[in-house]
Amino acid sequence: MDKLRVKIDGRTILAAPGKTILEVAEENGIHIPTLCHLDGLRDVGACRLCIVDLYGQLVTSCTTKVADGMEIGTQTETVRAYRRTILELLFAEGNHVCSFCVSNGGCELQDLACELGMHSVRVPYTYRRERVDATHPRFLIDRDRCVLCGRCVRVCQEVEGAHTWGFAERGATVRVITDLAVPWGTAESCTSCGKCVEVCPTGAIARKGASNAEMRKHPDLVAELTERRARG
Amino acid sequence: MAGRLEVLVCSGGACMSSHSLEMKEELVRQLETQLLTDEVRIVETGCMGPCQHGPLVLVYPEGVLYKNVAASDVAEIVTEHFLKGRVVERLLFRSETADQIIREHRSIPFFEKQMKIVLANCGAINPESIEEYIGAGGYEALGKAVTTMTPEGVVAEMKASGLRGRGGAGFPTGTKWDFVRREASPKKVVVCNADEGDPGAFMDRAVLEGDPHTVIEGLAIAAYAVGAQRGYVYVRAEYPLAISRLRSALDAARKLGLLGERIFDTAFSFDIEIRVGAGAFVCGEETALLASLEGRRGVPHPRPPYPSTSGMWQLPTLLNNVETYANVRHIIARGSAWFASIGTGESKGTKVFALSGNVRNTGLVEVPMGTTLGELIYDIGGGVPNGKKLKAVQTGGPSGGCIPVQHLNTPISYETLKELGAIVGSGGVIVLDEDTCMVNLARYFVEFTASESCGQCVPCRSGLVRMLDILDRITRGEGSMEDLALLEELAHTIRRSSLCGLGQTAPNPVLSTLRYFRHEYEAHIQNKTCPAAVCAALFVAPCEASCPAHVDVPAYVAHLSNGDFAKAFDVHMKTNPLPGICGRVCYAFCETKCQRAQIEESVAIRDLKRFMADYAMEHKLAGPKPVDRNGLRVAVVGSGPAGLTCGYFLAQLGYEPVLFEALPIAGGTMATGIPAYRLPRDILKADIDRIVKAGVRIELLSAVDDLEQLFAEGYAAVFVATGAMKGQTVALGETLPRGVVTGVEFLKGIHVDGGSEVGDEVVVIGGGNSAIDSARAALRLGAKRVTIAYRRARADMPASPEEIAEAIEEGVEILDMTSPVGVVGGERVEGLRCASMAAGPFDASGRRRPVPSDRPEIVLPASMVIVAVGQEATGELLRSAGIEVAKGGLVVVDPVTMRTSRPGIFAGGDATTGPATVVEAIGAGRRAAVAIDRFLGGPGAFEPEERVEVATSYDEDAYTQELDRAVPPMADVRTRIHSFAEVRGRFAKEQAMEEARRCLHCDRKQTEDGACCESSAAEAAGATTR
Repeated sequence: MDKLRVKIDGRTILAAPGKTILEVAEENGIHIPTLCHLDGLRDVGACRLCIVDLYGQLVTSCTTKVADGMEIGTQTETVRAYRRTILELLFAEGNHVCSFCVSNGGCELQDLACELGMHSVRVPYTYRRERVDATHPRFLIDRDRCVLCGRCVRVCQEVEGAHTWGFAERGATVRVITDLAVPWGTAESCTSCGKCVEVCPTGAIARKGASNAEMRKHPDLVAELTERRARG
Repeated sequence: MAGRLEVLVCSGGACMSSHSLEMKEELVRQLETQLLTDEVRIVETGCMGPCQHGPLVLVYPEGVLYKNVAASDVAEIVTEHFLKGRVVERLLFRSETADQIIREHRSIPFFEKQMKIVLANCGAINPESIEEYIGAGGYEALGKAVTTMTPEGVVAEMKASGLRGRGGAGFPTGTKWDFVRREASPKKVVVCNADEGDPGAFMDRAVLEGDPHTVIEGLAIAAYAVGAQRGYVYVRAEYPLAISRLRSALDAARKLGLLGERIFDTAFSFDIEIRVGAGAFVCGEETALLASLEGRRGVPHPRPPYPSTSGMWQLPTLLNNVETYANVRHIIARGSAWFASIGTGESKGTKVFALSGNVRNTGLVEVPMGTTLGELIYDIGGGVPNGKKLKAVQTGGPSGGCIPVQHLNTPISYETLKELGAIVGSGGVIVLDEDTCMVNLARYFVEFTASESCGQCVPCRSGLVRMLDILDRITRGEGSMEDLALLEELAHTIRRSSLCGLGQTAPNPVLSTLRYFRHEYEAHIQNKTCPAAVCAALFVAPCEASCPAHVDVPAYVAHLSNGDFAKAFDVHMKTNPLPGICGRVCYAFCETKCQRAQIEESVAIRDLKRFMADYAMEHKLAGPKPVDRNGLRVAVVGSGPAGLTCGYFLAQLGYEPVLFEALPIAGGTMATGIPAYRLPRDILKADIDRIVKAGVRIELLSAVDDLEQLFAEGYAAVFVATGAMKGQTVALGETLPRGVVTGVEFLKGIHVDGGSEVGDEVVVIGGGNSAIDSARAALRLGAKRVTIAYRRARADMPASPEEIAEAIEEGVEILDMTSPVGVVGGERVEGLRCASMAAGPFDASGRRRPVPSDRPEIVLPASMVIVAVGQEATGELLRSAGIEVAKGGLVVVDPVTMRTSRPGIFAGGDATTGPATVVEAIGAGRRAAVAIDRFLGGPGAFEPEERVEVATSYDEDAYTQELDRAVPPMADVRTRIHSFAEVRGRFAKEQAMEEARRCLHCDRKQTEDGACCESSAAEAAGATTR
């Protein structure tokens, strides 16, 4: 099929049709920050961090397919400012205290803060208090660290097929739940495969026994798995 | 059964909630007892529109519309109207302007300017009867489409009609149909969005409840056009009646073969299913709706793909709103050209609006696009009730914006409202009067969208909560200007980066109120005041908040109810040293905000004040003691209310104020402009004498012409309160004959210069209080006939309604819509030529501008013409001192510090604001005294500042039962017009105490934990000194 011609940050790039802006950018060494996106999972465009400027409109690069002649800005002033504000909002709604976190040093949210130059949070914190669910024999979830990216929900549905994880409620009270909001340890559908642990970008879902900064995750396993499955 | 009469009983949601069904049952019983069942046919219809006045009953063939019909009214209607043919007049609509009853429902102003296409059958047919629908032309369009038109032809017709989506976005409907039609898929779906969720919008509900077949027919035509086999109506569970009527309509349509296989014996087969939503606002968003329709969690996904390519079950899906589908059959039956002839360039057809808020006729109205906002609110809506002023219109619900009053001439269309920062949206129109706090309103909408956010994307989920948090703080008086900047930044971020329409539009209420009402946000933040007296944390009570002098009304009214008259007087003197005057001539802003009015009528605060002031005068009370003299002299120029008040409070703070008055009497406009029948001169004198006793020297006949000279004479500061004493004129000709005077000259002539000759016939030009004063004074000077010529409508007169009523009672004639164009006469005036005016477009104040009408001029015979059209300040004194004076002679001052451009010189009252009220001048005078004290190194505060709540005996009845407002005795109209003796009398002691007990004590607030707070929240919030 004919290649499409797109312009990203002033660079003219030939792209295969059907690919997203994010894919084309990454293939060409142009980095766009992401959080809810994960190779191997369906994209939902929820975190809004991968927004790019497309003719003055802001679109999520993970869900927007390239078209011939597109001119895209991934680092415009507006885009960078909005990304930072969105990141601040994410920090303010949870309790993200890196020095106490199992994922300190291995956390995608922390990496984003460094990358986007977020030095402080201007909006007041909510200091929400969610109970830690450590009822599962091997894993635990600390919802105060959850950024609601939905990767656990998608990997459980799309890759493991267990449908253990889901969302409950809406607005500021939305949260991830196991089965029908039962303690994780009693969720009958859970196969204890641990994929949710590997894809969780923060220290929210973690292996038991990991201490400060000891948790390292392998979200790229999902892409490997889905690629292998596709090959049969 | 051919009946003699058809009786339509509205069974729309609103009428049913006011018991229309019980009323209908009674009607059935009455008809049976009167043996009228064969002659009178009862039809239950959908919503008729004027929901405010339900339950409604419409009787044909006369077309008589009865309102507020209770079951107990039915017997009278049956015996009087149905048997004897006499219409029951007390249940008819009344004209707002002419006070006439209206028999024929089409001549009710509410209906006159409407054009019903979508709602044509609502309130006209029985929604449960498919025969009535077919009788009204129903299913003709479907028949025409499937038997005579190609699908392409139908789509072309829809495109040509110019119809745009009525759900809110306004996307061209025909184009959307074309997208779906062009998809190659053999299976397609049509969906009707009936998940109506905007607060205050209920047109979709009314259509589904009142005319369900019109939606079915629209869906079927759409399915034929795009090639769909299956239709779904997604309707919220909160609409059980809509669901049940739609369900029976679907059954009836299937029975007649209008749904199902081979419709109209063609190859077209189609059926519809109802899907009931659980009532999430976000499910009105199309991708969320489709997810919910499939049984998944109702959250949106990013577009593209659009539903037209991949919608329900990934099939090409056409999704339109109820009102959009309701238009379809009319377009197909009557042709696109007819439809396109209605409306404006880009917005065709009609739009249904749900009128709510502060408007007389709330309900559902349908008007052609291009109708102006003013017509919608005033001509159809009947305007703002309770004598309040229109402030803004909120359109489009939580995604919409506020349009301020100066845009009433805007023709409604998708484009025009967007330009103004609002949207047509689903058609919710909330009318907001002067008592609306725009910050609080924005807060309300953000609270709604924050709780309805699906929680999927970060800006909407987390950002709206942050915005709400900031708005909360601002309404509590805890916000900062940095908060305001952050609020705006968040609003823009959320608008531009959210996933779906909910988040992208949720900041609109904030952005549009910031656009037009930023000063209200700033008032909350910088002055810690809520201008509309809504945000309870920012004031003692609404009466106190609305008083320009911030008199602690609840405290002195409480003392009055306890019989502690001297204590009440002391409270009053803390902020306002002119109780005798204010007890008579105050505009009583406090009473307009009195919460008692929600039970019956406001507390008679001004009459209570008058009782208290008279008591104080008779008992020679002096008020609070001043502090020790500090030896500093301050000059005050002008002895009107601003000057007197400033002098009094300067004396209280230890200064030695000297008032310079050019005239031989003190009091300013109060002495020269207010007639004695309203303000007896002994009362004026008593209030002024008390101020003199408190340490203020007044120098009469001492005009100041050089401000710098005062400093040379040793005055430490100067307060200029020279008022706005120059009478304005209207163009009546080059040289005017004798007998033409300004209201200012005329009124001053009576009380200062001693008497004027008026002759027999006096004409007064103007509509304000000084016009009324001039007219009533002329009567008292012996005029036989006094006429007021006013160029606008009577309802637009700025004079207080009370004054107008008293003038009319005394025989003053008011000719409104009458504009003077010239005088008749040679040496002496003989008459006034006037043009008859007609109501033109709306002006920036929300009133209709008078424009010349085609009626001939009239000549009013006149021995005297008094031009009382307003006053102005000259600003001469300050201009000569090199101080900045704005256009219109108004001195430029900082509204808080009252400073002019020259340090040490302060100004206030009418000289800075233009003609205003006594109490506003008093407020300015006190602020100036505080500011001067600060300027001269003082603390700028009075001791003690702490507010003490006054205990009263608890009387539950006073808070829960209706108690008539006390009315003072009034002088007999036959005798009072012959003298300048006071018209209004005084409460008796018991009457005053009783009236004071009607106070609801809004100052006693509950804290969050339920306890009553001792000190006011305003102080806790660090409010500035008043």
